[in-house]
Amino acid sequence: MDHAVCLRLRNKGDMKKKSNFNRREFIQNGMRLTLLVAVGGVSGLSVIKATGKGDVWQIDPYKCTQCGRCATECVMTPSAVKCIHAYDVCGYCDLCGGYLKPGSNARSTAAENQLCPTAAITRKFIEEPYFEYVIDEDLCIGCAKCVKGCDSFGNSSLHLQIRHDLCLNCNQCSIARVCPGDAISRVPADQPYMIKGQYNPQE
Amino acid sequence: MRNKYLRIILLLLSLIITGELTAQNRFPKPEFESGYVQPSPTTPEPRAFAMEYFDVFILIAVLLLISYFIFRKRSRRGILWTSVFSLIYFGFYRNGCICSIGAIQNVTLTLADPNYGMSVVALLFFILPLVFALYTGRTFCAGACPLGAIQDLVVHKPIKLPVALQRGLGMIPYLYLGLAVLYAATGTDFIICRYDPFVGIFRMDAPFTMIVLGIGFLLVGIFVARPYCRFFCPYGVLLNWMSSFSRWHLTITPSECVSCKLCENSCPFDAIDIPDHSIQKKDVSKNVKRFLIFTLLIPIWMALGAWVGHQSHVFLSKGNSQVYLAELLISHPELKSDIDNLDIQAFLASGKSMDVLVEEASLIRNKFRIGSWILGAFIGLVFGIKLLKQFVYRKKEDYEPNKGECLSCGRCMDYCPVES
Amino acid sequence: MEKKNNIELLSQLALVVGGISIFIAVLLLLNYWNISRYDPLDSQALVALVERLSDEPDNDALKLEIRNLDLLARKAYFTSQWQVKTGGFLLLFASIFFVLVLKILYDMKKKIELPEVEEEKGMIDRILSQRWIGAIGILLVIGALLASFASNDYLEKYVAGSSEDGQTKIDESIEVIEITSSESLSDNQGLATGLAEVDSSVAEQNTNVDVANDPSLEGLASETKASIDASNTSNINYPDLNEIKKHHNGFRGPLSQGISFHKNIPIDWDGAGGKNILWKTEVPRAGKSSPVIWANHLFVSGADAQSRWVYCYDRNDGKLLWEHEAKDIEGSPASAPKTTPDTGLAAPTLATDGERVYAIFGTGDILALDMSGTRLWAKNLGVPDNHYGHSSSLLCWEGRLVVQYDTNRSGRLLALDLQNGNPIWDVPRNHKISWASPVLAEIGGKYQIITSADPLVIAHDFESGKELWSVECMMGEVGPSVAFSEGLVYASNEYARMVAIKPGAGSADIVWEYDEYLSEASSPVAVEGLIFLGTSYGVFACFDAKTGEMQWEFEGNSGFYGSPIAVDGKIYVMDMSGTTYIFEISRELKLIGEPALGEKSVVTPAFAEGKIYLRGTKYLYCIGA
Repeated sequence: MDHAVCLRLRNKGDMKKKSNFNRREFIQNGMRLTLLVAVGGVSGLSVIKATGKGDVWQIDPYKCTQCGRCATECVMTPSAVKCIHAYDVCGYCDLCGGYLKPGSNARSTAAENQLCPTAAITRKFIEEPYFEYVIDEDLCIGCAKCVKGCDSFGNSSLHLQIRHDLCLNCNQCSIARVCPGDAISRVPADQPYMIKGQYNPQE
Repeated sequence: MRNKYLRIILLLLSLIITGELTAQNRFPKPEFESGYVQPSPTTPEPRAFAMEYFDVFILIAVLLLISYFIFRKRSRRGILWTSVFSLIYFGFYRNGCICSIGAIQNVTLTLADPNYGMSVVALLFFILPLVFALYTGRTFCAGACPLGAIQDLVVHKPIKLPVALQRGLGMIPYLYLGLAVLYAATGTDFIICRYDPFVGIFRMDAPFTMIVLGIGFLLVGIFVARPYCRFFCPYGVLLNWMSSFSRWHLTITPSECVSCKLCENSCPFDAIDIPDHSIQKKDVSKNVKRFLIFTLLIPIWMALGAWVGHQSHVFLSKGNSQVYLAELLISHPELKSDIDNLDIQAFLASGKSMDVLVEEASLIRNKFRIGSWILGAFIGLVFGIKLLKQFVYRKKEDYEPNKGECLSCGRCMDYCPVES
Repeated sequence: MEKKNNIELLSQLALVVGGISIFIAVLLLLNYWNISRYDPLDSQALVALVERLSDEPDNDALKLEIRNLDLLARKAYFTSQWQVKTGGFLLLFASIFFVLVLKILYDMKKKIELPEVEEEKGMIDRILSQRWIGAIGILLVIGALLASFASNDYLEKYVAGSSEDGQTKIDESIEVIEITSSESLSDNQGLATGLAEVDSSVAEQNTNVDVANDPSLEGLASETKASIDASNTSNINYPDLNEIKKHHNGFRGPLSQGISFHKNIPIDWDGAGGKNILWKTEVPRAGKSSPVIWANHLFVSGADAQSRWVYCYDRNDGKLLWEHEAKDIEGSPASAPKTTPDTGLAAPTLATDGERVYAIFGTGDILALDMSGTRLWAKNLGVPDNHYGHSSSLLCWEGRLVVQYDTNRSGRLLALDLQNGNPIWDVPRNHKISWASPVLAEIGGKYQIITSADPLVIAHDFESGKELWSVECMMGEVGPSVAFSEGLVYASNEYARMVAIKPGAGSADIVWEYDEYLSEASSPVAVEGLIFLGTSYGVFACFDAKTGEMQWEFEGNSGFYGSPIAVDGKIYVMDMSGTTYIFEISRELKLIGEPALGEKSVVTPAFAEGKIYLRGTKYLYCIGA
């Protein structure tokens, strides 16, 4: 088909095209309005329940089963979940189940006695017979071995928390998806932590 | 050790008061005599929420800028660099995690779950691109979406896919959207986020499979332009609907199309409607009859889809962890003694009875039953409309972008020889 | 010309950058492969070394080796993390550069060309599209139908209330037995009373799994019959107290009171040097169960994650007479429950009545063997939920086997028929889990089973299982069993207190309490008006039994987990380092000897005439002068 024919066709259809065009435009406008109303409706319904503060993910330490998945399932390496120490709850024991391997050789800081695989817990003598335990979060990988130890033999003052300076706040937390205790949930961003002794599980 | 009695009394008191904290105070907190000051755990704050509103501001700015480049400047270069900015900001800086695509699920969950309310920012991220699409076309895809941007950058040797294949594959995003809504509404999972192929690259940290998926998509993307956007993106479905009826839209030519055909190969996404003169008048009249038949068939497709969806609800619901656990325990009760199965052990330790678990799982399955037949009917409807569309023939003479499919990337504008 | 050169240059650059990207990617892949194959933080070598260290606590070279390996592992972990991170960034930048070069290259090469004239085939395309859409639709339908056909709806099949499905099965099978056995029995014998007892116990209990699943019900019926016949006769023949006193038939000796009646016990030996060691033999599998002795037979148990065993030695020469694996027991878990290393699966001590030996393991398996190692019966009491591992020892007396079966979810005290393991009575224990063992005490001419747990010290009638009295005085995780002497019961636990209880009819009173030196795992012993007790931090102390006043204290080298035994006018107690301290039973501290075993131990000694039997972590020793 050559160019001339093309142009002829076009002139011929002009009249019809115009009425067509108006009808099309009418349909288009109608549809646009409908879609706009639909989007508005959905957002209207959502905005009633929407929160202006946003939420973040956090672990409920009372639901945590210390399964060890926090270390492996987080999208971050190392995990954004770290062990934190609720000093308020700690018994400052010499024989610390979170620090020492069960049946450890001696109550010393030597590698063969430490439970933590990355030596992230430091132990400091305070006064007879009490010791303070501090977590070095740069080393902690969130494996919960110490949490399990402290939970089994001590006051369970060591527990896991999501650190919000590290957490990317994914839309769906990949640890929450596989958490066997359903311990990870969204919490309001203005109360981003659940630290033992500072938060009451009954609330 | 001396005032042990006192401590025991205190301990007992605390046990009475805070029944649940029994395990906590096995060893009472000592009273220090050396003036030791107890530190308190640090609590780094999450990203300030004001910054999230800044993200919204950036999104609006980017969308406006793209519209400006499309309608005023007609500059592919401008769009390209805006998309690079979005890739850096929303992709690598924000780690791909404030995302309009994923927000579909938040909206769904907000509507479905009475206990969940999404954040206003996520809602804005969901709405704004849609509203923009209603007026300016898919400007979001053109330069605001980091997933699109990263794929757009690797398009080097696009091949033309057969039209029929493209339209066939075009079913996938609808299915993906339907499944994502179903899984989000039942509170099961956010599958869009879970299978997002590029978020691992944005974070520079991901499980191996995710990285492989992302790199795979990019490698395919060298030849098949923006494969995720065209054949998977569930948000693209919504944008497609909006954009099809948009008030304004990108045009290839600044004034009158002269049908020079130069732009025919310019679109790597095959989104240009090319005038076709091979369709004859007699074909068209024959089509009218077929059109009517296929319109009447749509309810049948929907019914079939609903039936298939209903049949599928059992296996679809197995994706829910609670349903999965309940079924696992019913079908393999001996696993109760498998101490390596963390989920089962955690369930046993929780003290929840099997009856309760099964009841909860049945409730979820019930939701799936309803959701699945709606999903089936929806897919049936899409199927019917897609078939029907093949009989809609609109005669046209100009080279125009297909308003629904066009990603407004602006490549074709560079090809048009017509001066404004 | 220059453009051509530039294109040439750029393509080479692209090639190089692409090559580098691929190289980095391969390196990262290798790193991933390496890490996924061997996680440095989960090093088995390190675990093995630490295990070895627990056997050789003073091996400094080993310690150094562990420290070095640990450092190496951590270094490997953090270095690989650094590698991944750095490699990732390098790869990113290389790819960006690559993409950029390619972009410029293609822009340079690109010319806007007139497209090839293609045949217009709108109609064909449309028809093809329909086919494709149709094909995908059919594919979806077929896929969905196949998947739904292949998937089972288990929720539908679930019958509400059958939550303890294991339980229901057992109940059903018990009914079957009841009918068969009672018919055949009542036809042949008129054992109305005996039968009623068996029936009621079978109906009440839910543990008769192994019997229930016996394929031949007829054989079973006759077996049950035979066993009841036998129990009728042998019930008269169980050993009396005087007979038991000649042996060491359970944990802490006869009646589990911590008192042995043998004489001429050696007071000096050296396990490493061999002095006074009559024989020494390695027990094939580790266990914390203490030896028990009947005549010439000595029994211990051992276990690892794979299997549980009972071992019988000739106590005169240390020869292994037989061994028996506790396997093929109905209800026994496929994989053993997790226990802590200091408890293990073979912590409870065995019991024997001279005709049979009884063993229980951390899996909940309980079994009876005759003196030649043939299994008489075996069953599983339900896998215990116990965060350390089940450790309550068995107690055998007057034709009954007393089992204290505490778990985190529930507790029971059972008396099993020695002939067939069927419960004679089974009472629930509604308090917290305890690791102590039951003790028999004769109070007012009747035998009582006394157990200790958080928060109760509680006494049950030996005959009926009826609760006789209880005192709320314990707390925490109770490990020590009670002591009994001259009508008073003594219970102690670390972080709680020690109490002396005067049992009365239906109630009991606390006579005195004390809370300084308390035992954690080691049980106290009461003898000759004195109480002896060892703490887990190494203090051994003596108290007046009437007042609780401390008489003397002694500091050992290491903590006490094994319990003291009063024998031959002395107290023998071994600390965790394997040193036995021998004290005179007296109000003055008088250490007679402290011979060393040369091996760590947490078990309680067993005695025979002129001999003492000790179990270390690895070896079993017979010591005699």
